[in-house]
Amino acid sequence: MSAGSLYFKCPDNLTAKKFLKKLAKIVTLEIVAQEYMCKTFYDSFDSLLYTHNMICEFNHSQKQSNMCLIDRKLGHMIATEMVEDMPRFVGQCAEGRIKKLLVSSLAMRAIIPLCHLPLTVYRLNILNKDQKIVLRLQLDAYDDLNHYVRVLPLKGYDKAAEKMLSVLQAQWHFKPAKSTALDDALKSMNQAPQSYSSKFQLKLTPDTPANEACLHIYLYLLKVINKNESGVIEDIDTEFLHDFRVAVRRTRAGLNQLKNVLPDNELAQYAEFFAWLGQITSTTRDLDVYLLSYQDYKLILPAEMQADLEPFYTLLKQKQIIAQDSLVEHLTSDYYQDSLANWQKYLNSSVRKAIKTDMGGLTVKELADKRIWKMLKRVLSEGAAINHDSPAEALHDLRKTAKKLRYLMEFFASLYTPSDIKLLIKSLKQLQKVLGDFQDYEIQEISLKQFKKELKDNQATENTLLAMEKLVTHLEHQRGLAREKFADRFNLFQKIEHQAQFQLLFAPAQKVKS
Amino acid sequence: MTIIASYNIKGGVGKTATAVNLAHIASQKNHFKVLVWDLDPQGATSYYFRIKPKVKGGSKAFISGTRALDGLIKATDYENLDLLPADFSFRNLDLALDGHKKPTQRLKKLLAPLKKEYDLIILDCPPNISLLSEAIFEASDMLLSPMIPTTLSLRTLEQLKKYLKDNKLNHLTLLPFFSMVDRRKKMHNEIMRDITDIYPDTLKSVIPYASDVERMGWERQPLGAYMGRGRSIDAYRNLWNEVWLAMNA
Ligand SMILES: Nc1ncnc2c1ncn2[C@@H]1O[C@H](COP(=O)(O)OP(=O)(O)OP(=O)(O)O)[C@@H](O)[C@H]1O
Ligand SMILES: [Mg+2]
Repeated sequence: MSAGSLYFKCPDNLTAKKFLKKLAKIVTLEIVAQEYMCKTFYDSFDSLLYTHNMICEFNHSQKQSNMCLIDRKLGHMIATEMVEDMPRFVGQCAEGRIKKLLVSSLAMRAIIPLCHLPLTVYRLNILNKDQKIVLRLQLDAYDDLNHYVRVLPLKGYDKAAEKMLSVLQAQWHFKPAKSTALDDALKSMNQAPQSYSSKFQLKLTPDTPANEACLHIYLYLLKVINKNESGVIEDIDTEFLHDFRVAVRRTRAGLNQLKNVLPDNELAQYAEFFAWLGQITSTTRDLDVYLLSYQDYKLILPAEMQADLEPFYTLLKQKQIIAQDSLVEHLTSDYYQDSLANWQKYLNSSVRKAIKTDMGGLTVKELADKRIWKMLKRVLSEGAAINHDSPAEALHDLRKTAKKLRYLMEFFASLYTPSDIKLLIKSLKQLQKVLGDFQDYEIQEISLKQFKKELKDNQATENTLLAMEKLVTHLEHQRGLAREKFADRFNLFQKIEHQAQFQLLFAPAQKVKS
Repeated sequence: MTIIASYNIKGGVGKTATAVNLAHIASQKNHFKVLVWDLDPQGATSYYFRIKPKVKGGSKAFISGTRALDGLIKATDYENLDLLPADFSFRNLDLALDGHKKPTQRLKKLLAPLKKEYDLIILDCPPNISLLSEAIFEASDMLLSPMIPTTLSLRTLEQLKKYLKDNKLNHLTLLPFFSMVDRRKKMHNEIMRDITDIYPDTLKSVIPYASDVERMGWERQPLGAYMGRGRSIDAYRNLWNEVWLAMNA
């Protein structure tokens, strides 16, 4: 079989009727089925399937409905499955090929509908003089878009396929499909697949004035907040709130870490607003995390105890619903909407005028070197002061400092050699992981004890309380392990070559000279 | 993957009808990927599937190995069901095999590469015992053997049993069953009872003599493609169930 395309876009204005008439003139044609259906395309909010070169369709007709994964580049079907309804999360898919493919690309993101396209699907057989089928065709006749034809060759009947391909291309001037109906539909709606990533990816140039660069950082983060807002309110999946909160935290880190670059007195009210925003989103996020961890919690317990944990799940779910309601109330409040609108206005207007502050006169590279260098020294000295007997607070403080360093490095990453900065962020990440685990386990422990008390007040059974107790013990143990890991991890981070690299990269110029 | 030969020493007993219908049922009901190989130069199976009884290069080309079987396969009109068509040159298959070293192992070897692609291969065999049938016995896992309940059929079955035993074809499961049965005929019923007493391994399913089956030649389709329900299609479905159980025994 020729290796060429088997999938074609019909010329504009070619109706199904015309196509069938043309075809019937040159071959013996049998229309096996003609089915009106609605095709709905799905992807995550951040177009994860698109990025993985997949298209997810839900085809719904009166007779049946199925879910299909299509190779976006080649146009062929990767997998299909009968389903009544589209699942919202991968976890709800039946075991099989589709689930396997989706798990690796979607993780916990919801799949949401992008657009609905009504179409009539014609399944056609081409017959020879013995009335034997020698080729199959499928015509996807979209109501409002160009039609597509798929040639489906049959084994042993290459000639029939070749003849058809030559008619389509050479005589009728059909073009091999380079896009899909989804692309056509998005284009007709003036949309492109969402280009969204939760990573901080703002490109800065070293000699930009520091104050101007800061404004761009805040505007970038504001965009992330805006993009995620409706997903948070509609509670589509937990990633919206996660990304929303990360942008809020980054904004706060900027406001705290980059003092005197913009007029601090003008920023004070926004610092207060973002602190509030961090606070009112935290309960829902915490509960999301507990719900996401629920399966893991269950697996900590021996099989016969796992069912006893069910009331804990119910409690979390109830609390999450209440927290989400109150979160929506906050995010639709005047205070929230006005503050965010003012923040946007403030940033936009400041971009246009020259601001003078102490640090504002530096270039962004100078500011970055200075701030990162300072924070790095703080991480090193705080870490070095921690020994086996240090209280938990010392580790918590170090965790906070490391986090500040991390934000600074991410803000300014584009100013440094990519491979160097990536390596440093990676090693910082590993240190943060140990510190984060240590704290997470402690917080989980405290919260689980609290949940246990609530369950007891709600007349939970003795078995449920026992299961909760077992989880707490497990977390205690885990925390101990994290504490033990710290020294090693920090030593590694501290290693001379690291410091040397840091120095080379970040030490403000005059210091290196001296 | 299982290879089943639809075989009887005698002609006109329903071998082809069995091969065609079981292949169709297995591909539809079990979603097996099925290949039928029409080894009879008369090409009855190919005719039922409306596929030209013609093979590029004839039997010589694939027996000698210059053409792989895979390239000769044709898709039928039914999903998951393919055919290796017959060719007029198959009347000399015995000769072609004889010219090759280890002729009885030849079909087995040629079929081996198709194991990956198919769940079931059904060989529609011409009657007689010949070099070709020996090669078929070597290649197959099961010998599905239709017989018309006549006085001669007991003798034919005994002959076949003896042949398999003498040639130490122990890997081969013999599955005899009755075909073209007229329940109104006293003789048919008596002979079936006698044979089942002597050979309790005889399958329970009985294919009746029915005009629906004869119609296949007119329709040029497997029974199941033009009949949803009915005595004869049900009989073939039951037969397939029994064969399937034997495959999994
Ligand atoms: N159950 C049946 N009822 C009525 N007619 C049948 C039945 N089975 C087969 N026939 C008819 O009997 C004839 C022989 O059947 P078939 O071709 O299946 O036998 P065969 O054993 O393959 O013959 P051959 O040895 O010639 O290959 C055909 O015309 C067929 O239509
Ligand atoms: Mg026959």
